[in-house]
Amino acid sequence: MIKYIVRRLLGAIPVLFGLSIILFAFIHLLPGDPAATILGQHARPELVDAMRHRLGLDLPLWQQYLNYVGDLLHGDLGRSFVNNRSVVDDFFVRFPGTVELTLAALAFAVGLGIPMGRWAARKPQSFSDGFITVVSLVGVSIPIFVLGLSLQYVFAVQLHILPASGRIDPRLQVPYTTNFLLIDTLLAGRPDAFVDSLRHLVLPAIALGSIPLAIITRITRASVLDVTHEDYVRTARAKGLTEKRVDGRHIMRNAWLPVVTVIGLQVGGLLAGAVITETVFAWNGVGKWVVEAIEAHDYFVIQSSILIFALIFLLVNLVVDIGYAFLNPRIRYS
Amino acid sequence: MTTTTPPPAPAPTAAGAAGGVASVPLLSVRDLVVRFRTQDGTIYAVNGIDFDLAEGETLGIVGESGCGKSVTNLAIMRLLPKPAGRIERGRILLDGQDLVVLSESEIRAIRGRDVAMIFQDPMTSLNPVLTIEEQMVETIRAHRTTSKEEARARAIELLEMVGIPKPETRLKAFPHQFSGGMRQRVMIAMALALDPRLLIADEPTTALDVTIQAQILEILARLATESGTALILITHDLGVVAGMTKRINVMYAGFVVESATTPELFALPSHPYTIGLLHSIPRLDSDGDEDLIPIEGRPPDQRVEPVGCPFAPRCAWRIDDCWSDNPGLAAIDGRAAVVMTGPAATHRIACFNPPTHDEALAGRPLREGFRPAPPPGTLPEDTGFEGLGSEEALEALEPQGAEHSPLLPRDEALLDAGRDRGQYPGDADRDSHR
Amino acid sequence: MATKAATPATVRVPVESRASRGLWRDALVRLRRNRPALVGLACIAIFVFVAFFAPWLAQYDPNKGGLGKTFEPPSAAHWAGLDKLGRDELTRVMYGARISLVVGVVSVTVGLTIGGLVGAIAGGVGGRIDTILMRITDVFLAIPGILLAIGIVAWLGQGLVQIMIAVAVANAPIFARILRGSLLSLREAEFVTAARSVGASRTRLLLRHMLPNALTALIVAATLALATAIIDVAGLGFLGLGPPDPRTAEWGTMLTDSTEALRRAPWLIFAPGIAIVISAIGFNLLGDGLRESLDPRLKR
Ligand SMILES: Nc1ncnc2c1ncn2[C@@H]1O[C@H](COP(=O)(O)OP(=O)(O)OP(=O)(O)O)[C@@H](O)[C@H]1O
Ligand code: SF4
Ligand SMILES: [Mg+2]
Repeated sequence: MIKYIVRRLLGAIPVLFGLSIILFAFIHLLPGDPAATILGQHARPELVDAMRHRLGLDLPLWQQYLNYVGDLLHGDLGRSFVNNRSVVDDFFVRFPGTVELTLAALAFAVGLGIPMGRWAARKPQSFSDGFITVVSLVGVSIPIFVLGLSLQYVFAVQLHILPASGRIDPRLQVPYTTNFLLIDTLLAGRPDAFVDSLRHLVLPAIALGSIPLAIITRITRASVLDVTHEDYVRTARAKGLTEKRVDGRHIMRNAWLPVVTVIGLQVGGLLAGAVITETVFAWNGVGKWVVEAIEAHDYFVIQSSILIFALIFLLVNLVVDIGYAFLNPRIRYS
Repeated sequence: MTTTTPPPAPAPTAAGAAGGVASVPLLSVRDLVVRFRTQDGTIYAVNGIDFDLAEGETLGIVGESGCGKSVTNLAIMRLLPKPAGRIERGRILLDGQDLVVLSESEIRAIRGRDVAMIFQDPMTSLNPVLTIEEQMVETIRAHRTTSKEEARARAIELLEMVGIPKPETRLKAFPHQFSGGMRQRVMIAMALALDPRLLIADEPTTALDVTIQAQILEILARLATESGTALILITHDLGVVAGMTKRINVMYAGFVVESATTPELFALPSHPYTIGLLHSIPRLDSDGDEDLIPIEGRPPDQRVEPVGCPFAPRCAWRIDDCWSDNPGLAAIDGRAAVVMTGPAATHRIACFNPPTHDEALAGRPLREGFRPAPPPGTLPEDTGFEGLGSEEALEALEPQGAEHSPLLPRDEALLDAGRDRGQYPGDADRDSHR
Repeated sequence: MATKAATPATVRVPVESRASRGLWRDALVRLRRNRPALVGLACIAIFVFVAFFAPWLAQYDPNKGGLGKTFEPPSAAHWAGLDKLGRDELTRVMYGARISLVVGVVSVTVGLTIGGLVGAIAGGVGGRIDTILMRITDVFLAIPGILLAIGIVAWLGQGLVQIMIAVAVANAPIFARILRGSLLSLREAEFVTAARSVGASRTRLLLRHMLPNALTALIVAATLALATAIIDVAGLGFLGLGPPDPRTAEWGTMLTDSTEALRRAPWLIFAPGIAIVISAIGFNLLGDGLRESLDPRLKR
């Protein structure tokens, strides 16, 4: 098992290496001179040269690359072109919002998707199965922004039961400590603010979670149906086990395996989807930060955020694979 | 041993009347009909079969793939795949109690405790994510209120019985850490965990290495005998049942077509299909140059309701009636009283035109000028019947030197002779199965 | 030489060609009986029809404003209402179908070509080349979907061609993975072993025997990718990375515009929103149907 984890960790190294090259190229192969881009088109040549020097752009390319990787290894992602703030610092201010949103969306997708998939698998071809199939089809086919805007319109504009955007009502004035608002509100002893930030979370989480919900529902249904026809399930019944036990211990324990893999695969989609969701709901997270950076042509921020997203994605996949190995003795013991 | 006249089931109340201890057989299957409703239509998997099994008896069920061996036994366990598979008709009496009408929780109490089952493929029959211990202990504890430790001790004892070395440590292992033969041993151990009265082994060795097969069969036979468990052994392989069982049912297309004690079946195979089976396998004691006669054609399409004798399209002995009427299973000597179980069980076949002993030995009809009856609706000269059985096969089945005139009429006299010899089941018996 | 006469290349293995042709015919038969797939095909047909005939179907000019009040609600003359400049929303949705169709199809085709080549080389050649190519795909796969596309558009600048490239590059590694995977599993397939045993050359094995069979998975993936591509293109538009001219009728851009007027003119969401959903549903249904038809074991 330890060997497996080590092997997986080592396997990530070439990917990280490749990633650093691509992201390095991203800045250095930009059409035009980054220094000129930063300073604007009409900057004086001496200023541009000074900027080039400051950014190390006058060094040979290989040295620039080494510097870049060296900085990365020190956890230095550079500074924003636009406001000269440290990218890492900004990231950590924004990141908790994205984590909150992504986890909420994942909880929504898993919490609803697995029961729905099991329910649909219980009676294949029945009405409820058909209904769930249609729901999950629409779920994968509806873009986050269309669903998000519709939810906003119905629940916020028309029904006024949930807030349309933001993470919390700014009038509540909660001190930010961790930037996880659900935690900060509790730390501040403000249940009212906690409820308010929870209410803000509902619509974005649904919008972001709809695609994973659909996919998890489908894979759960398919996986449960698959396992239901396995010989060992028949053996379990032949032994005289109760239906509850057959279902919980023999079917679900096995049906989980592909579901776990798919849940892991959703994380990439969730991070990417967060970019759009945060834009729709004015949610102050990494996604919105990226979009703002694109609008401002703030290349270091774009570069770094892509790197961080990829790192998180790789890390989550690693955790999921280990979890999978843990659930599956065929891997655990080999 | 039970004496009864099929198809009426032995009335439980009559038990003891004849002074016998067990006049109610352990298992009594009557007129069992199983069908599958699928998207492609109904599948007529089992079409009304009767058989009994006495306490401690071993019964073999043979027949080619798809003939309903597994379905019959899954029906006994009430484990037919839902919702497609259904018991349409019939009774399955275990100790006189009809399993067909039991509630889900009542049948569950019987599964594993009174009737246990071993499946064909040990590679897939054990749950890959649970240890052997978990799977064995849960079986025991599903039926007995024992502590985990007691159940575990019993599991160790069982694994020892089936010859698994170091059972204490092996209990912690997962199925994938065992070989196929070892897994089947575990399955046997698990099946015997609660001293069931009936053990159904569905092709327990088909998926295994030839060298392992004998070991597994030996364990199975030994343990069943030791514990007095009745055994139903399902297989394709006549060789396996020959050594393992006391009695054999030959199945074809959802019917039992021949039923006899094992010695009698091999000495006097009487149904054309059984004869075909015996002629299509090489005999171990033969010198090697014996002619193997494969059974030509394919089993009937079970998506159509069976009409007539199911074997008719492939049968060299068939007569006109075979196309339209179903020959019920009846005593070979025409007697009405039938012994259903034990060493004196009546030899029964389902056939209108039973082959003689000589024909059985030859594997083909020997009667002068006999030709299989063409399908109804065809002119006599129209001998090809839509791909079922090739022309050559029919010719191979033709009596040597017989004229190959397509217009050759059926020899009624010979048939009548067969009837006179008393090898023909009574009409009443025959009709009762339709 | 006698051995020369029977060169491996001339040996015909009938198993494969029959197998793959039969596979497609069977699949077609099954597809025709697959009702969801037919519904999907109908959605796609509507989408393509509208895209082709937008100039004839639409009654207005997509860029001509002032057709009535701005933000006019749906009416008999303007079924989907008018937008902020008084342009006919339905007309714009019809013209938007052209962009979605062209960009979607081109980007998936390009992605399929690149990914297919990479996958075929990796799966066909194997060895070190396979390892290197797969590591590179891993790098791209590590950047979650649309984020990669966003990065590429941010890098290359706005424009339809840039969007096509971005979506193509985001899809290509997925296609490469799929093709390589099915090639690897086919290597062990019986008919390939049969062909190999009669001495078919490596290239021939790959081109004649393995690729045609491996393509099935790729075609399914490409169909499903069309749905994603349409959504991603609209997503880029929604993020302001759509066509450089903000007046262009593009579904995502139209939705961004409608966000600004969610309270005043909520109906502006519906026409482009429904258009995206219908075309995505179409490709998703067809893709699922194809998958079931090509691999009947999957069907329940
Ligand atoms: N789940 C099912 N759905 C539909 N038909 C089925 C199903 N299971 C079995 N059948 C049909 O029932 C008939 C009998 O099948 P059964 O499994 O009993 O055959 P068998 O004698 O055990 O064959 P084998 O030797 O291959 O195990 C076959 O025609 C089969 O097609
Ligand atoms: S002779 Fe007739 S009844 Fe007997 S097996 Fe042949 S076809 Fe069936
Ligand atoms: Mg079977």
